[in-house]
Amino acid sequence: MTKRAAPFLACIGLLVLWQVASLALKNDSFPTALEAIRAIPAILGDKDSLVNFAASLRRMTIGFGVALAMSIPLGLLMGRSRIVASFFNPLLMVIYPVPKAALMPIIMLWLGVGDFSKTLVIFLGVSLPVIYHSFEGAKAVEEKMLWSGAAMGLSAPQRMIRIVLPAALPEILTGCRTGLVLALITMITSEMIARQSGAGNILFNALDMGQYDTVFAMIIIVGAMGIGLDALFERIRAYLVRWSEPQFDIPLSFS
Amino acid sequence: MIEIDHVSQVFQTSARQDHLAVSDISLTVADGAFVSILGPSGCGKSTLLYIVGGFVQPTMGVAKMKGKTIKGPGPDRGPVFQEFALFPWKTVLGNVMYGPRQQGMKYAEAEAQSRALLEMVGLKGFEAFYPKELSGGMKQRVALARTLAYHPEVLLMDEPFGALDAHTRTRLQNDLLNIWERDRKTVLFVTHSVEEAVFLSDKVVMMTRSPGRIRQIVDIDLPRPRRRSELLLDPRYQEYIVEIERMFDDSGEIELSP
Repeated sequence: MTKRAAPFLACIGLLVLWQVASLALKNDSFPTALEAIRAIPAILGDKDSLVNFAASLRRMTIGFGVALAMSIPLGLLMGRSRIVASFFNPLLMVIYPVPKAALMPIIMLWLGVGDFSKTLVIFLGVSLPVIYHSFEGAKAVEEKMLWSGAAMGLSAPQRMIRIVLPAALPEILTGCRTGLVLALITMITSEMIARQSGAGNILFNALDMGQYDTVFAMIIIVGAMGIGLDALFERIRAYLVRWSEPQFDIPLSFS
Repeated sequence: MIEIDHVSQVFQTSARQDHLAVSDISLTVADGAFVSILGPSGCGKSTLLYIVGGFVQPTMGVAKMKGKTIKGPGPDRGPVFQEFALFPWKTVLGNVMYGPRQQGMKYAEAEAQSRALLEMVGLKGFEAFYPKELSGGMKQRVALARTLAYHPEVLLMDEPFGALDAHTRTRLQNDLLNIWERDRKTVLFVTHSVEEAVFLSDKVVMMTRSPGRIRQIVDIDLPRPRRRSELLLDPRYQEYIVEIERMFDDSGEIELSP
């Protein structure tokens, strides 16, 4: 009971702290928690902002989906083939520390400021942790498990799909969970840089216009979205890997 | 019949040096025989088993199964590993059904056969469990059933009871003998336990320390079906154990566990 209530108590504690700090500082650009919360229904009730949210979620879903569809097979192949790994590893090592949003100006220059560029940035942000975890997961698959499969008559491609993939699934899903949070981050960042539509667009437009209660309300909404998506993903993850050893449990979750 | 013909195996160590694991081994295993390969750890006895399994290609020499050179793994040779190597995402029943289903058996038939096998290895009622919910001994029972399920002609057992406690180990040895004495598959059984080798086998192949060579082959001429309670009272059983242990002692290779 206390375990389930703890995250919510933490949220309330944070809001109380915010309220007190805001009242004490009396700064125009720092609305109280109550003011920010009061601004939420107006945003969610507005048709334009809902269109913006839909655009954000669409890009995020596509970016995340395409990233998984490409990164998981690549990571698994890298984990099982030294040749594939030695080809892609240096490449990924170079890309890894570059903030994906920093590539945004170049991508925009080449591909425009539309959906494609933003989705591409999300795709890049999600790909690396998913590739990395799929790679680690595939590398750790017990050789003898593959031998057992080979003795039953599974061919190499069959072993990849029917043994390596499920055996690495707990690790893959850990990467996907990191990827989901990164998708949200890159989504907002890309909309901040190329303001056209989306949740980030509402947030930064409000900032420009000095509507600070909207800014903070948006931060709450985006934060809640992140928590909600993460909790949903964690439910799905826990179900998919219910067979796995408990070392893969991630206790840090709202689900 | 399995023929191992002048097989040597060289590994590259992490320091990029060649390490001779198995040196010039020739061995013939007759159909229906229970043969143990006994030796100190690191003597290449598992390597020899992997070569027969087709999981490792010998550097020199050939291994043959029914006169045909072994080029890769196949369902005619079923491995059982010390590490169990079960599929953790499959239930106990799912694991046992995996081989027959892969071989194209109908679901209902595979299920019925697998349930019967699980009953035989003493796991009735555990069909829906996941491997993580089982003890080591139970996992190895599942692994044995999983391998028996696709009817290999040869069982390749790689220190299958090495990770188990003494009590569980004894029970599994008894059960393995019961199962084996029913259908007499060819078994190649790797162990470092003298007592285990003598108890189970028709033939004990003693290996030397690295590089592994055959030191001596001892025929175990004890009556079957064997019962542990009877064997422990049989002086010939004790003599085999003492004889084999003494041979290892003479060569300074005393790091065999009982």
